Amino acid sequence: MSERDEAAERGGGRPGAGGAGGFRDRLLGRVRLSGWLALAAPLLAVLFAALITSVVLLIAGSSPLAAFDTLVEYGSQPRTMAVILNNATMYYISALAVAVGFRMNLFNIGVDGQYRLAAVVAAGVGGAALLPGVLNIVLVLVVAVLVGALWAGIAGLLKVKRGVSEVIATIMLNAIATGLASWLMSNHLGVLTGNDLATRPIPEGSRMPGMELIAGTPKLVNGFLVVAIILGIAYYVLLNRTRFGFELRATGMSEPAALASGIGVKRMVVTTMVVSGAVAGLAGMPELLGETYKYSNNFPAGLGFDGIAIALLGRNNPVGMALGALLWSFLGNSSDSLQMINISKETVDIMKGVTVLSVIIAYELVHRYRIIAEQRRAGQETAASPAAEGAAA
Amino acid sequence: MTKGQIHAIVGENGAGKSTLMKILYGMQRPDEGEIRVDGKPVVFHTPADAIAAGIGMVHQHFMLADNLTVLENVILGSEPRRGGVAIDFRAARKKIKEISDAYGLAIRPDVPVEELGVGDRQRVEILKVLYRGARILILDEPTAVLVPHEVDELFENLRGLVREGLTILFISHKLDEVLRVADAITVIRRGTTVASVDPRDMTARHLAELMVGSELPSPETRESTVTDSVVLSVGDLTVRDIDGRAIVDGVGFDIHRGEVLGIAGVEGNGQAELVEALMGIRPCTVGSLTLDGKDITGWSTLKRREGGIGYIPEDRHRHGLLLEAPLWENRILGHQTRRPNVKGIWIDRTAARDDTQRIVEAYDVRTPGIDTAAAALSGGNQQKLIVGREMSGDPVLLIASHPTRGVDVGAQAAIWDHLRAARAAGLAVLLISADLDELIGLSDSLKVILRGRIVADVDPANVTPEQLGSAMTGAGEAAAQ
Amino acid sequence: MLMAAAACGSGDDTSTATSEASSSAAPGGAALKVGLAYDIGGRGDGSFNDAAARGLDQAVSELKAEKKELEAAAGETDAQKEERIRLLASNGYNPVIAVGFAYSEPLKKVAPEFPDVKFAIVDDDAATGENISNLVFSEEQGSFLVGVAAAIKSKKDSIGFVGGVDVPLIHKFQAGFEAGAKAVKPDIKVQSKYLTQPPDFAGFNDPAKGKTAAQGMFDSGADVVYQAAGGSGSGVFEAAKAAGAMAIGVDSDQAALPAYADVKDVIITSMIKKIDVAVFDFLKRASEGTVQAGKTVYDLKADGVGYSTTGGKIDDITSQIDEYKQKIINGEITVPSS
Repeated sequence: MSERDEAAERGGGRPGAGGAGGFRDRLLGRVRLSGWLALAAPLLAVLFAALITSVVLLIAGSSPLAAFDTLVEYGSQPRTMAVILNNATMYYISALAVAVGFRMNLFNIGVDGQYRLAAVVAAGVGGAALLPGVLNIVLVLVVAVLVGALWAGIAGLLKVKRGVSEVIATIMLNAIATGLASWLMSNHLGVLTGNDLATRPIPEGSRMPGMELIAGTPKLVNGFLVVAIILGIAYYVLLNRTRFGFELRATGMSEPAALASGIGVKRMVVTTMVVSGAVAGLAGMPELLGETYKYSNNFPAGLGFDGIAIALLGRNNPVGMALGALLWSFLGNSSDSLQMINISKETVDIMKGVTVLSVIIAYELVHRYRIIAEQRRAGQETAASPAAEGAAA
Repeated sequence: MTKGQIHAIVGENGAGKSTLMKILYGMQRPDEGEIRVDGKPVVFHTPADAIAAGIGMVHQHFMLADNLTVLENVILGSEPRRGGVAIDFRAARKKIKEISDAYGLAIRPDVPVEELGVGDRQRVEILKVLYRGARILILDEPTAVLVPHEVDELFENLRGLVREGLTILFISHKLDEVLRVADAITVIRRGTTVASVDPRDMTARHLAELMVGSELPSPETRESTVTDSVVLSVGDLTVRDIDGRAIVDGVGFDIHRGEVLGIAGVEGNGQAELVEALMGIRPCTVGSLTLDGKDITGWSTLKRREGGIGYIPEDRHRHGLLLEAPLWENRILGHQTRRPNVKGIWIDRTAARDDTQRIVEAYDVRTPGIDTAAAALSGGNQQKLIVGREMSGDPVLLIASHPTRGVDVGAQAAIWDHLRAARAAGLAVLLISADLDELIGLSDSLKVILRGRIVADVDPANVTPEQLGSAMTGAGEAAAQ
Repeated sequence: MLMAAAACGSGDDTSTATSEASSSAAPGGAALKVGLAYDIGGRGDGSFNDAAARGLDQAVSELKAEKKELEAAAGETDAQKEERIRLLASNGYNPVIAVGFAYSEPLKKVAPEFPDVKFAIVDDDAATGENISNLVFSEEQGSFLVGVAAAIKSKKDSIGFVGGVDVPLIHKFQAGFEAGAKAVKPDIKVQSKYLTQPPDFAGFNDPAKGKTAAQGMFDSGADVVYQAAGGSGSGVFEAAKAAGAMAIGVDSDQAALPAYADVKDVIITSMIKKIDVAVFDFLKRASEGTVQAGKTVYDLKADGVGYSTTGGKIDDITSQIDEYKQKIINGEITVPSS
């Protein structure tokens, strides 16, 4: 029996419960949730989502078994895995940008506009080839970060100076970013090729090299995977190990408490938006520097909204969001294979939606359960400690 | 419990009052033992079972929808139907009227709840429970939110209910109130009943000793430790609200090393605003404001805290803690720029955790560990953590707003001890409290605040709570001099 | 039709026909397995995806072809489009048709991997290869003719153009329309508006936006509005009906479509872009093993674009329009495309 179980039993003061007591203790929350239980919540939620999807498929007259079979088969092909990984990289960076805001109760809906505007400007700068080779990559990244940060910073300033909700401000800024990007494309940066308008391609020497990570396919894994992993670690370290991260989380948990503790809440709002926007600026970079090398009318749109869903899926946790991004990408990329067996592409949207909902609900349940469990434990501690003193004496 | 009685259950925070109450109301299942209602054993799985058995609960925090009327609030969740769909407001109004008249609750059914005062809201809560047919009422700390005359009214109502044959279970740790209203008292400590007593042959002090299980400490400070050196000097401090009305009006005072300055006043007379202004949270105009001789007028909240001001806020949940965060992170709060919590831009987890452990041990914070969320702790333990935190880092001034509010007797005594010890070590303390005994007992000097102005200086050595109370209402300024 | 298309293949554009066309796959007679990848909107968009679908359906019924259609999702990457084409090709579908210039880059990458598969792409001539047929249209020429019609029919000498999304393809419609109108009445006033900016492609599927835009034009004096706005076009027709004005349809003979029965009175003509014909032609050649790689331009000469006369609203001026048509075919008039 582990120390923890022993402690729980002593605390519970229920002699004779034995091994069964351990299970019941867990069940009734007398023991703090261990790691596997925390992991069980999202897994169960995904299973639940699969169940709902099955029902939807049955109603639509398709076989769920065939569908899942196809999903697994398609998803396990080396080539598909590489594509999934590449898409997930973008999703993940976008989710990190959203999560930075979430941790401070800031809803940055504007990630979408931030990364698109950043991509346009960065693509224009990169295509101009002002610097040679790798330096050009660095320049493109710096420009993207700056543009994203600036665009998000506007929303931050509006909130602090004028009390405009960041939700409203970022939605509006998304629309303005679309117009601004379109204007830049038509009047300054765009070059017409066929029927597509695109920026000048970034020269060969200034592209992000791919990696032969997955055996059995010529498809390369985008070099930005490394950048995304570094960003994930940086996110964790920034939030959990630095004073800035502490102040950010404290403000997110309780603004009045943060104020009373001498945290400059207004400054934090602007800074957080700027950081969120800076990360958002990078979200389009895997595509720009690793896939298309130019911004065109076909540049992927809506990544910012995927990021919101994934941040919710992963509960702002860097590892959780990575898994969420992979799942999201897997589902998104399975659309074609499902259509091959005559299941409409909307099924994938249903799967995504149901997954997000059930994960949120599952987390909420686990969260409440955990608080109750902790309260019980704290209560027992109060009751138990004098008994222990007595025994010692 | 006997029918037609007010039965009080008293005990420290964390003694098991809340758990007992939850079991009685079906929110939690007992591990063993049984509950009998009218002699019949019952098992409650949900609050609905308890309601069905005639047990109703009035919560400490009101659960009313502000923008609905009293009537709508009362029937919410058990609306009388007409024809299966429409709500039968007429029947509901009639029934509410009947109940209100029968028990003398004086409820006006059509007033929106937002227009009601606290006492009225509480009566609505009681009526809500009666409306659902309760014969046994559980009241959880009902007086915590009431002012004295509202308490009197409540007790009047409770006696009325009892006369009509209802039974009331009254949970509180305000002993004088319990003694005034209860017909029987059960004292519990650490989850077990330690005494069942008759209020007629009890004193508050004896009852309190039963609760904590030892001789009760008193708030009195022994010898004066006041020195000549001024720590905080405030001159002509004024806080205005958005309409330009002065909430704090030209307040000035000095606090010396080793001195506890108490501010007495009925709540809402500017104390909260004064404290926030001193902490730099609320804008104010000030003639002079110095800490240890340095002008701190332009200092931010952070700089003031770094300059040695400790702060125990009035509302610990809103201003003092991150409820969802573990204790060790709460240790950092407000001290996020100082050792041992940080090294440069990095949080020093090891040192912060070690120091949290120190506080937990030194201040007897009862917790399973420093990774427990602050929300899981009882109010008293939360407050002990805050006191421990604010005493860290060698403060020169402590601003303590209601440091023992909502805290059980044991924790209260511990907090008083810590304040006294710090005072002896040279700490200057600004104490704001509604507890007159605490004010008189701890303070070296006392000022009375009324409508934002200091209206009287009182010597705590020769003042009774009664005199102080009348000074607070502005009636006896002359008497207090 | 086939003959017309074949004729146009040797038009003024270079047609890099490869003689190996009939060498592989699809020998005449065997049932075709056609794979078709739609652009965003897919089958049922009432616009160019639907036109491609009509050509495919015709092939299914007339050539006994087997079909597999895959639809695109909003906001996807080039890599995902690439996988879509690859999935069709690797599952034995041949020929494979990609609808929309968005497939240009992806097709460029996939086509070399499947040298035996015949690919076709609609609206794009940038992706070239030995097994890629580019089906492109001279939208500006057809638009020129309806511009002529609009200018003649306009009593206020003020007309309008509503484009779905501000992309180069739609610019061609606008340019041709303006040139046609100005050829008749050099001083005519032409208002233009695009409903959305890329990458927001909602402008192709938002009737409310179309209605508002057209209303604004009618309010400021226009009495004929030409729409190249896909699904948003119905809003333009509604606005025209409400204003008692005239409208011009696009892509299909919209006055003849059941979906627009309510508003057919205001549709004086439509600029017809025969994607269905192009798709069917390509499939028919594939079934016969005579596919030609390279660009096939569907212009006025090849009867790949044109105007409709359903409803008889412009019967009185067809001779004038046809004069211009002849001039364009002869090369006397060169229509600008941007």
